[in-house]
Amino acid sequence: MTPDMELSLPAQAENIALVRHAFGALGEALAVDEQLLSDMRLAITEACSNVVVHAYAGREPGPLEVDATLHDDELTVVVRDDGPGIAPHPGSPGLGLGLPLIASLSQSVELGRNEHERTEVRMTFSLSGAPHQIDPARPM
Amino acid sequence: MSETPDPDASASEPVAETSSPPEPSGPVMLRVANGPLAAPVLARVVSMVLARAACPLDRLDDALILCDAISAHAHTYSRDGHISFTLTPETNAIELRVAELGPGGASALIEDSGLPDVGNVIERFSDSRRVEPAQDGAGEELVLTLDFD
Repeated sequence: MTPDMELSLPAQAENIALVRHAFGALGEALAVDEQLLSDMRLAITEACSNVVVHAYAGREPGPLEVDATLHDDELTVVVRDDGPGIAPHPGSPGLGLGLPLIASLSQSVELGRNEHERTEVRMTFSLSGAPHQIDPARPM
Repeated sequence: MSETPDPDASASEPVAETSSPPEPSGPVMLRVANGPLAAPVLARVVSMVLARAACPLDRLDDALILCDAISAHAHTYSRDGHISFTLTPETNAIELRVAELGPGGASALIEDSGLPDVGNVIERFSDSRRVEPAQDGAGEELVLTLDFD
């Protein structure tokens, strides 16, 4: 299915804000619940941050690609890069909560490499039903 | 897993006065389906890119009017239900490339952007315009530049 929105830009920290704003506009255009939109943007920010920090570590930043596809009240967002893949980073400056946070904020998340051997984080968000809330009992 | 850079920092911080303009960053490509997403998403992305390029407010306003004109009419001339925009910051300028237009679409898009008492928005607010064949040979691309030195 062809995405409804595709962004391709250099994997630089300042471009994360651009992705967030693009999804803000998307959320407003689709009248997405404010809390859900906030959760979506946080999850997407985490995925993009991983690309910026880890995908091209030690070399020139490569592409950061973000696709959004709307289908049957479900929004699928794919964050893609040309890095070596997702692996534990013991020396990472972060707290290691990024992927659990994405999993908590999205309906589903898949990590892997696509048919072109590019690294992908695929998140789905349900746009229908009750406003999205974080379940405090749900393990992160 | 990672530290998270301040996500909105570059959007809200005022542009610092410096003796030289900021270094242009790489191109930003946006592809959107025809429909309600095109206008708001294009406007947000363009305003972000221009703000980072230290574009003055009056030219940013011009750019947003230009974006509105393009997104209002581009769907009429798109080849397959999508329109692509590539924003390439340059020193004191930005190039906006509108792609995936059908044959004759770029010129028609310019012609359609006339407004009563205003004139042709694309011609008025862009500093240069050219039509190029699409890289796949199946249509046209409209290339606009905005200067803001």
